[in-house]
Amino acid sequence: MADLLEYLAKQLVDDPDAVRVERVDEPDAVVLRLHVAQDDLGKVIGKQGRIARALRTIVRAGSVREHRRVQLEIVD
Amino acid sequence: METQEISVEATGETVGEAKWAALRELEKQHPGLDKSAVHFQVVTEGERGLLGVGFSPAKVVATVSAGAAAAAPVDESELAAETRALVTRIVDGIGVSGRIDVNEDDEVITVSCAGPDLGMLIGRHGQTIDAVQYLANAIMWRRHPQDRKEVVVDAAGYRDRRRVALESLAVRSAERALSDDEPVELEPMTAVERKVVHLRLKEFDGVETTSEGTEPNRFVVVHPVA
Repeated sequence: MADLLEYLAKQLVDDPDAVRVERVDEPDAVVLRLHVAQDDLGKVIGKQGRIARALRTIVRAGSVREHRRVQLEIVD
Repeated sequence: METQEISVEATGETVGEAKWAALRELEKQHPGLDKSAVHFQVVTEGERGLLGVGFSPAKVVATVSAGAAAAAPVDESELAAETRALVTRIVDGIGVSGRIDVNEDDEVITVSCAGPDLGMLIGRHGQTIDAVQYLANAIMWRRHPQDRKEVVVDAAGYRDRRRVALESLAVRSAERALSDDEPVELEPMTAVERKVVHLRLKEFDGVETTSEGTEPNRFVVVHPVA
């Protein structure tokens, strides 16, 4: 799931080299922290947060196979 | 001219399963390949074993000529092939396996998925498939700002079924708005679905439609007009 998130983010930003996904295992959930260049934040959030919402939906759908809640955090 | 061949090896509990697995792998690498051109060679028949002892899997090699592998999508444009690759990557990443077909016209590239676990791809109220579609559009638009086409992601006729249901809901709501002479608020919908309702009622006499509320709870309101 982290792979897919990283791939998608790289397609959306101006600076793909700055894209990094950090996986943090918490007791009841997996947190995927998506790091992008500061100037690219808007690109992964989108108008009215629509890109971020679509990314979250896809991450959630993919996590069904993980049997654990997966959260997405976007950080610069 | 030398004929190039593509081979994959696969295993399974039985020869049949191994063949099926090999075919799936070939299709994954070469979407739309001509299945009748695939040849199988059984490497080992496998041993069923007894109570798990002595089990060995069946192994087959599936071979197809490079020509047959590339034959099907020959009429596929570069844009369509790229869209196919993008959607395939997302669908695989979500963990849904299946066949992907692409259809292209002047304005729209439709990517249709078929397979066993499409419910997972569609998601509640079509949320997941709409998210895939939204991202596919955003990415393709970014890559090709000049010659962009709308991308529609479908799963086993889902869009058609949903469109028919939404259109009939739209008409019923318009009739109610007219008979009660009051605005009718519909359930929250995705942008794709709201558009279906707006379009259906555009030619419906006596009503106008608007969208209200904020995502993800944005909904259509059908207003009667004097």
